[in-house]
Amino acid sequence: MVTAETAAEPGGKAFAVLGLFETAEDILAAAQGLRDKGLGRLEAYTPYPVHGLDAALGHRRSPLAGMVLVMGFIGAVSAFLFQMWATGIDYPIVVGGKAPMAWQAFIPILFEVMVLFATFTAGLGMLLLMNRLPFYGHPILSSASIGKITRDRFALSLEAYGGAFDAREARAALEEAGATEVEVLPAPEPSGPWSANYLLKGFFAVGAACLVAGYATYWAVKLFPVLPPMVHMEDQPKLDPQEPSALFRDGRGMQSPPSGTVARGFLPYSPAAPEEAAGLANPLPRTEPVLDRGQKAYRTHCAVCHGVLGDGVPTLTASYGAKPANLQARAIRELSDGKIYDAIVRGKNAMPSYAPHLSVEDRWSVVHYVRVLQRAQNATDEDLERGGRP
Amino acid sequence: MRADAAVPEALRTPPLTDGAVTPASLDEQVLRFPETKPPRKWFLALAFTASLMTVGLALIGYTIYTGIGVWGNNRPVFWAFDIINFVFWVGIGHAGTLISAILFLFRKTWRNAIARFAEAMTIFAVMCAGLFPLIHVGRPWLAFWLFPYPNQRALWTNFRSPLLWDVFAVSTYFSVSLMFWYLGLIPDLASMRDRTQSPFRRKIYTVLSLGWRGAASHWSHYEKAYLLLAGLATGLVLSVHSVVSFDFAVSLVPGWHMTIFPPYFVAGAIFAGFAMVVIVLVVVRETMNLKNLITDFHLEVMNKVILGMSCLMAYSYLMEGFTAWYSMNPYLHHVFRQYVGGTYGWAGLLTICCNVLIPQILWFRRARRSYFWMIFVSVAVTVGMWFERFVIIVISLHQDYLPSSWHVYKPTLVDFGILFGSFGLFFTLVLVFARVLPVIATTEVKMVLPGAQPGRHGAP
Amino acid sequence: MIRSPRWLLASAAVGAAGVGASWSFSPPERFWSNWLLWFLFFATLALGALFLVALEHLVGARWSVPLRRMPERLSSLLFLAAALGAAALLSLPVLYPWTRPEAHHDPFVVGKLHAWLNAPFFSARFVACVALWVLSYWVLVRGSLRQDATADPALTVRFRRFAPAFMAIYAVSVTLLAFDWLSSLDPAWYSDIFGVYVFAGSFLSGLAATALGAVHLLERGRLGGVRRDHLYNLGGFLFAFTVFWSYIGFAQYMLMWYADLPEEVYWYADRTGSGWQFVVLGLAVVHFVIPFFALIPREKKGEHGPLKRIAALYLLAHLLDLYWLIFPSNFKSPVFSWPEASFAIFFVSVGFLWVRRSMAMGRDAPEGDPFLKEGLEFRL
Repeated sequence: MVTAETAAEPGGKAFAVLGLFETAEDILAAAQGLRDKGLGRLEAYTPYPVHGLDAALGHRRSPLAGMVLVMGFIGAVSAFLFQMWATGIDYPIVVGGKAPMAWQAFIPILFEVMVLFATFTAGLGMLLLMNRLPFYGHPILSSASIGKITRDRFALSLEAYGGAFDAREARAALEEAGATEVEVLPAPEPSGPWSANYLLKGFFAVGAACLVAGYATYWAVKLFPVLPPMVHMEDQPKLDPQEPSALFRDGRGMQSPPSGTVARGFLPYSPAAPEEAAGLANPLPRTEPVLDRGQKAYRTHCAVCHGVLGDGVPTLTASYGAKPANLQARAIRELSDGKIYDAIVRGKNAMPSYAPHLSVEDRWSVVHYVRVLQRAQNATDEDLERGGRP
Repeated sequence: MRADAAVPEALRTPPLTDGAVTPASLDEQVLRFPETKPPRKWFLALAFTASLMTVGLALIGYTIYTGIGVWGNNRPVFWAFDIINFVFWVGIGHAGTLISAILFLFRKTWRNAIARFAEAMTIFAVMCAGLFPLIHVGRPWLAFWLFPYPNQRALWTNFRSPLLWDVFAVSTYFSVSLMFWYLGLIPDLASMRDRTQSPFRRKIYTVLSLGWRGAASHWSHYEKAYLLLAGLATGLVLSVHSVVSFDFAVSLVPGWHMTIFPPYFVAGAIFAGFAMVVIVLVVVRETMNLKNLITDFHLEVMNKVILGMSCLMAYSYLMEGFTAWYSMNPYLHHVFRQYVGGTYGWAGLLTICCNVLIPQILWFRRARRSYFWMIFVSVAVTVGMWFERFVIIVISLHQDYLPSSWHVYKPTLVDFGILFGSFGLFFTLVLVFARVLPVIATTEVKMVLPGAQPGRHGAP
Repeated sequence: MIRSPRWLLASAAVGAAGVGASWSFSPPERFWSNWLLWFLFFATLALGALFLVALEHLVGARWSVPLRRMPERLSSLLFLAAALGAAALLSLPVLYPWTRPEAHHDPFVVGKLHAWLNAPFFSARFVACVALWVLSYWVLVRGSLRQDATADPALTVRFRRFAPAFMAIYAVSVTLLAFDWLSSLDPAWYSDIFGVYVFAGSFLSGLAATALGAVHLLERGRLGGVRRDHLYNLGGFLFAFTVFWSYIGFAQYMLMWYADLPEEVYWYADRTGSGWQFVVLGLAVVHFVIPFFALIPREKKGEHGPLKRIAALYLLAHLLDLYWLIFPSNFKSPVFSWPEASFAIFFVSVGFLWVRRSMAMGRDAPEGDPFLKEGLEFRL
């Protein structure tokens, strides 16, 4: 039996004695033999998990499965409740015809978050909580045996665990059990910042910070503005649309204007009969802005029936039925401005009144524009010589 | 009970490895790659893939700077290469999880030799996939709006949209795959820590292996976590691609609203993923001399899975076609006729040919064991599965309900450049992985070698 | 569980009397809906059992070899199902709207009457399926029984070669059962995942019946060598496919809910209103919630008692599933009275009698199978 002994730690007391074995069967037999001898805490180091070793060492079953189940359930429930709250209570909107509390739509995310919680519990729980990894200070990491262990050898270690620990007795027991090599390990170094404890604390700190920041944002945006006095900006004494009011008999804040109300730009129209309208004069000057306005109004409201050129060729289809007037016709060219204005205001034959659509200024601008169209379509040679100038 | 009938040759399971393999020889064979300089071929391959990747990334930058108008997306085909590539890459990732997780649950020990590489491919594929939803939104710098955080607009994300389900599903899938892969790497990183002569590398491996020392108490929690993760990852395989399929199936677009989409997409994902795994594993086993570990049996089994999935795809196409007719919906009838005729009918026929007809070659054992045929089939499947998404997305969109909106879709060079760039990204990551980390999970293989576990004499 | 056959024969007789009374006194839809329910129950169960057998051959599984004789015996129910189905062809004019003249006025139906939804083609499809079932039974089950005596490994090679063909037969059969017998009760409705949904229920019921039968035999000291490890795997499959069934069921529902198309969603409206909502809620509970949480603990999957109870619950859940699929097409509210009870008593008794008789087929384990030894040695 080869016994290679590396130096114990400078202080004097060994922390653990390591015995190396060649095969999985050897270490299993040895573990079963050494378990109840009470020589120290028994631990095995293997390159891969060896079946039956857990039982031989008396390890309890890993609680990870239960933890994962619980966290998965928490993940599922919190994802569902959060979606319900965010979509159905905090800011309910109907989207795509789906009611805000549409549980069917929340199932996919519920499932994914459940899996997320469960898997991170399994992975990080195993590393940080159960195995306390990362931990770089274990003495075996700097021993001579670790290279053999991660390659193909199996090691049993008897570790000092409170109370007396006799390294020589442990060494003898290991050799008797069949160890091919024995090594003594010094005490572990204290863990640095990159250890499981610090990481766990770090994760929780970050998590807590996120929760606090999130709630703070939510409070600042949604809950704070509705506290007095901030809410006073929102709750103003003026009557907003749709608000009720005790001032009026029917209790509504919004009232229709009383009869006889005149809208701005829509003066009452005085001529009692069309004949009287003949005398009305166009109050607007014939300037380019006025003509532009008239063109715009004409093209919006009139060209549909009377045609872009005013020739009665509509952009509507022939199926419309009524035949709009040809504004180029001599009869209309000879009409006075007032008569044209009257037709706009009162309507004529099949044409309805356009008074609601056009303000007073629009109407007179249209009259100007109609004159422009008439002149354009009935230009004389003199107009050409003059270059179209008045 | 009488139980002594002899097992004929044709039915016997082949051994796990070709020839004798010990833990020490395994370490030597696999773990020496990260320590040695790669051969010239590797650098040439990397140069090629990296240039493809660079071109792709440059074009992505151009797209972000100029706008989505540089792509071919236009009305009515508002989703095209961007979503095709997304679905394609997410699908490719699923094979890795299946090999890693589902085959682990079925205790198929032969999976141990290929699980590491497959998992790595999953992660790289999901990275490629994640690129596309990010860049196709037009204002990718606002992508964080997709996460439900309390904000100054007092708004929440639209949880009722499948696009948001995608965000959760793909991020979950990526994080879980990464964690699963990393946990599997820890014991191997510990092996590398203890083998390496270079102090610089030793430091890196020490940090990354988290101080793993192979303690039996640690192994018991580790195995439990691995089993649980495998089970959870299995659920993810089903759910993630189903959620991706919901992007289409919840809509009203004719040809998209087919209830079979969830399992059909999952089967297609496994199908495309296994084809990619076969291609990569053939290259790996040849160039890295791992034929004794990645045996002919491995390739044959994967080819059988490809064949099986091809039959599932055939069933799905049959069901889609039949149900489209059965629905008596004239819009659906029109779209399905467009799938095999019309402007893009060639794509539909190509899809059926590549996904259903060509893989039938794999019924023949010779084809399952021949590099030429398996690579031919796998490339055909990869192309076919890309075109299947093209058919579903582009053909359905370009002629749906209103004929006045019908319009032909033309991809631009930027579209193609980004597609090939994603391949470049994927293969660059694969090449780098192959030389930096152990491509075979040595710990997992050691666990199942003959003689590795104590015999169960008289055990209950 | 199964007592003396006399007890069973008596209950079968009582049930038969009730069924006969239902034939005379119940409206025809009531009688035939019940008949259809039991026909499909046995058909899906038997096909699911045969699928389990073929799956084992397809993937070369070893752990399930000692258990394989159970599903092989269960698949003999195919003959019962075929007979029930032949009789069910008489129900076409009663249950199925496409046999009636008003179908010609429905634009979603009239176009497919000539090519698909007509009695002759429907019957021909059914007959073809039955022929394929008989073929598969002859190759897989009779072959396995023959192997008991001859121990010929060439038979195993034949099973392995036939298994992919059976997969195609199974896929077509289950899809046709789903589309023809179930979904054409509402001929305007369509869902292409429906075949997969019925498959999930079929496989689950085959697995559950297998588990039930295996535990029954184990408790009587038969099937020696089959351990917790084997039962654990069965339990694991039951667990996995519970999740699968729920996923498929939810996917179909959610997609139809989301798009809300009138020509699709009325099927769910019929099945979630006027009392049916309690049935579907009950279905979710017995088919998903209870089995899921009951099978999560590792121990439960392999123990006799829990496995038996869960397996029985699955069979009840599958019945409830079919009930919820079939009855709302003809009944506005759930109906449960003496007709349903009589049919249940009759067909449960007949089912047990049939399976009891099938327990005499061959040995309890496929003794000629070259992998039996390896299967018995299986450990988790």
